Formats: sequence, C-alpha cells, structure tokens
Amino acid sequence: MSFLRIILIAAAFIFIGILPVHAKDMIVKEPPKSLSKYYPPESKQSKWIQQMHKMSTHFGGVFVNLKEKDFENVDIHADKLVEEYKKTSEMVPEWEDYFDIKAAEAFAAAAKTHDIAQAGKASGKLGKTCGKCHAENEVSVWAKFHWPSFHKIKVTDPISEKEIEFDDYMGSISASFKGVTVNFGEGQYDRAAKALKIFKSRYMELKSTCSKCHATQDVKRFYVGQDADTAFAGLSQELDSEKPNPEKFWKNIGLLGKTGCKHCHLVHRTNSFIQEMWEK
Amino acid sequence: MKRSSRIFDLIIGVGLIGVAGFAMLYFLVNERFEWIPEQVLELARDPEILKRPAAKKCSECHKAIYEAWKDSRHSISWTSENFIEASENHTKEKCLPCHIPKSVRGEKPSPRLNLRDEGIYCVSCHFIDNKMQGPYDLLAPPHPTFRNPDYVRSKFCGSCHQKTFKEWKATNVEETCQDCHMPRKKGRLTQKAGFNLLHKKRWVGDHRFLHGEIKEKDVVMEAGWEENYFIISLKNQTIPHFVPTADNGDPRLYLYIKFFNEAGEEVDKAKEIIAPQQETALPYNKKIQYRYRLFDKVFKAEVELKYQPAWSKEKTTVRAETVRR
Repeated sequence: MSFLRIILIAAAFIFIGILPVHAKDMIVKEPPKSLSKYYPPESKQSKWIQQMHKMSTHFGGVFVNLKEKDFENVDIHADKLVEEYKKTSEMVPEWEDYFDIKAAEAFAAAAKTHDIAQAGKASGKLGKTCGKCHAENEVSVWAKFHWPSFHKIKVTDPISEKEIEFDDYMGSISASFKGVTVNFGEGQYDRAAKALKIFKSRYMELKSTCSKCHATQDVKRFYVGQDADTAFAGLSQELDSEKPNPEKFWKNIGLLGKTGCKHCHLVHRTNSFIQEMWEK
Repeated sequence: MKRSSRIFDLIIGVGLIGVAGFAMLYFLVNERFEWIPEQVLELARDPEILKRPAAKKCSECHKAIYEAWKDSRHSISWTSENFIEASENHTKEKCLPCHIPKSVRGEKPSPRLNLRDEGIYCVSCHFIDNKMQGPYDLLAPPHPTFRNPDYVRSKFCGSCHQKTFKEWKATNVEETCQDCHMPRKKGRLTQKAGFNLLHKKRWVGDHRFLHGEIKEKDVVMEAGWEENYFIISLKNQTIPHFVPTADNGDPRLYLYIKFFNEAGEEVDKAKEIIAPQQETALPYNKKIQYRYRLFDKVFKAEVELKYQPAWSKEKTTVRAETVRR
C-alpha cells in the first residue's frame, strides 16, 4: 500500500470519526452549570477550551509524528491524549457518558504499533465520542461562554443621558428612526430634520457601544463607519434644502439600513436570540 | 580636667571617624557602587523581591512611591467598580492585558494569572526579564537594579495607551507622557530608616500617574451667527493628544447648547458628544466646527462644555458662556 493511500485512509478515519455532525443531530440546549467553573468569571482562564485544544493537539500530534516516523513523540502524544481525555471526562459530570476511556486507550495502543493504518482505524471510535459531544454541545458552549452577551450591555442614551438596557436602546433608535422617515413621508421636513439630529446622535452612540467589545477601529467602522457618515451628511443636506429630493433621501436611508443595521444584525442577532432564550 | 579633655577628644575623634565613614559610604553607595564586590551584595539580597511580590513588599523601602501608586487609577485597574461593570465581571478578554499586565515593555502586554487585585503594580512595570529595572543605575542591596532609558520615553506608556501614544506622536510635541502625567520632583527613592540618608536625592516621577484635568484654557471656543445657523468651534490648544483620549475607555466632553428667544424662553437645544470611541474627540491644535440650524427666532445661546472621565458618571464644567446675537 502506498504511503499516500495510507495517509488518505487515516485522514478519512479521522474526519469520519470526528465530524459525524449532521443537521438532524444539532441541538441547542443550555450547557450544564458545572461547565461555568471552567470559564471566566469563575475561572481565571477559559479552561474548557484549553482542554479541548490539549486533546486536539495530542490527537493531531500522533498523526503528525507517525507521518514523520518520529515514533518517540508518537508514544508521548498517545499517552498524553489518554491522560487529558481521562481528565476531561471528569471535569463535567453531566457529560461523563460522552467519554469512552477504553476507546482512548485502544487508540493509544494502536498508535504505539506505529502503524498509521491501525492508528487511523482506532481513531474512528474515539473520534465519534468527540463528534457526538460537539454535535450536541458545541454551539451552546460557544453561544454561552464565547460570545459576550448583549443583554448585559448597558447604553447611555445620548438624549436622556440615562443608562438603559441594550434592547431598550435598540427600541429607542428604532423610534427615532421612524421620527425621521414618517415625518419625511408626510412632507414635514422641519420635524424630520429635528428628528434626524436625535436619530443621528443615538446611531453614533453605537460606536461607543461597539467599543465595549470590539477593540479595533476597523471592526467598529464595519458597523458605524464611512457609509453612516455619508448617509447622515446626505440626509442633513436634503432636509436643510428648500426642496428635499425624496430619491436622494431614501437612498441614504437605504444606505444606513444596508450597512450599519444589516451588518450588525446579520452577525449578532442569531446568537443574541439563543442567549435571550436562556436568560429569560 | 585632663580626663575630661581626653573624653572630649575621644568624642570628637569618634565623631570625625563616623562622619568620614559616612561620607565614604555615601560616596561609595551613590558614586562608586560598582566597587562593592558582588559577594558582599549577595548577603543583602532579598530573594522574595525577585519572585514578583505584591506591591506591599516594595513599600518596605519605597513607601512614598507605594503610597502615590495606591492613590492612582493604576492600583485599582482590576478592582474598581467601574471596571468590573465594564468588563462584565472580568470576563472580557480584551481588557485583561492592560488591566492586569504581567510585564510592560513597549508592546501590548500579556495578562497575568496571579495577584490580579494589584492591578497595574510595581512588578508589572519594573520587573522585566527577571530584572528590576528603572530610570537609574543605582545600588539597591535587596535587588540588583538596571537602568532602562525607556522609563522616561512615551513608548513605554504606549504599551497600553497605544491610541493616545499615536495621537501624541503625530503632534511632534517634545514633552513626553511622563513629563505631564508623572512630573518629577527631587526626592529619595527609599524611605527605609538609615538607607534614606545614604541615598542621594534624585528626580522621582509622581506615581499617582496624574490625570490632567481639562480646564477652560485648554479648550478655546469661538461662536457666532450666520443667517439661520449658529456656528461654534472648539480647539484643544494645550494638550498634545486628542481630548478626551482613551484606547478602550469612554471619557467624554459634552457640549450643551440652549437657544432662547427674545422673551427668554428656551426654543431649542442641541448637544454634541465629544468622545474617542465615537471618533469625535478634539485633536491637538485644530479647530473643530459645529453648525446648528435654527428653526425659530433666536436671541441668545447658552453654551456649556462638561467633562466626564471614563471611570465616573459625574460631569464637571470646563467652560460656560452666553452668546448673544
């Protein structure tokens, strides 16, 4: 059997074993409470994901070293994988049943034969235990522990200068946006111009809100950036003119919606909905 | 008579020897400490200091610096209520490197795992590459000390205050961060009895890391009327970085304008939020103009500029004036 075929077989076993995730398997349920102790604030570091990386590194280390015929390191990684796998199995009692220690030990034994085909075959059973847990819990864990929660964000409303919940703030932006569009639609341009000042102030406040999580200017500008500046300048120009041009007005409204609002909602809303279900 | 004279001579003699000894020691400690054999210094070393101790340990000698630091925002960078709230109970990873830095050395530091309540403490800035470092080469028997010129350069502060550092650099102003925020006074680095006399006075930076208050003279304001518009401009003319400035915090200037008709009734109002996170902070030495359309007949405008630091909800008035038409 050629070396390439062996590698391909091994790779197939790995991927079939580790990633048996099908749509029907996907479940989004809140992770068990005991997992919280492996994430901040209960833990100083994100210990759980670090543990996943350790196992993944040792699993990968076996195959990297088998390929390189560095058998001493194959054995080290195989032993370490079993050690970390056992340790992980004891971390979250509610998930104990996902683990199959015998499968991990069988994989380590197969790896120590230094036969890549045998290791690949043994990896299938072990990989399935990882894959099942990932299918059932990975989305939830990321949603709960890796995405900051919008529901914990407080925003200082630039108009009232009161600190309010993020969801309420979204409501107030939406209301001030309608103050602009409804008045414009009715031909009440002065009212629309006054409403625009309020809407712009609230919209621009989002730059501060984004900065509560996003540290880089480029990311913040992806949501509230040059397009928003252009749109607001265009809207002000139209509303300050003697005869506002509806086509230009609505084009700029569209620009705000398609860039700022849509960008943020597409990226953040799904996760926010999931968190909201758990938090209510 | 003879006996008392001898005693007097003895006292004078001992005194002179003492003064000479002290003078020699003073000279040795301050000017030629490299003459002291390393084996002798080893006897005075305190190994605990090289194990990244809490600030209290450093205060055993550096009491004045410790007390200044205790008064600083740096000492509560991890424990302040404002930070706990903003970091969602210490869970936001982006906050950790600069609020609990392991070693500050001119680039974004890594967060540390121990002594987090100490915030940005002595060891964060002075214990680098397992060596105690500072702006001076000097003799400090409990720990070897090495001079590092970075301590008087803005780049050092720019490790965390990266945005402010870039703003300052763009101004080409010579005064460094330390010149304004750590003004130096002649004093002793140690207050430990005996040692304080042996060490000569040096320029010591203020470890309260002064946060400059924004005063009326710092922000120039011009205002006027143009048909149905009120125009106002602000210029940061003294502070060589944006005002306000912050990498991640959210300090703000609020510009409030109230418009009144001839009868003294308020007919409209406007507000500007001047904040680094909204990219509206005032650059150095550049006039920023704001225009307000007037929808009613306006006789006068009352203008007030207020400042709110990142760690407080309180605002203080920077300047206030009335502009008549």
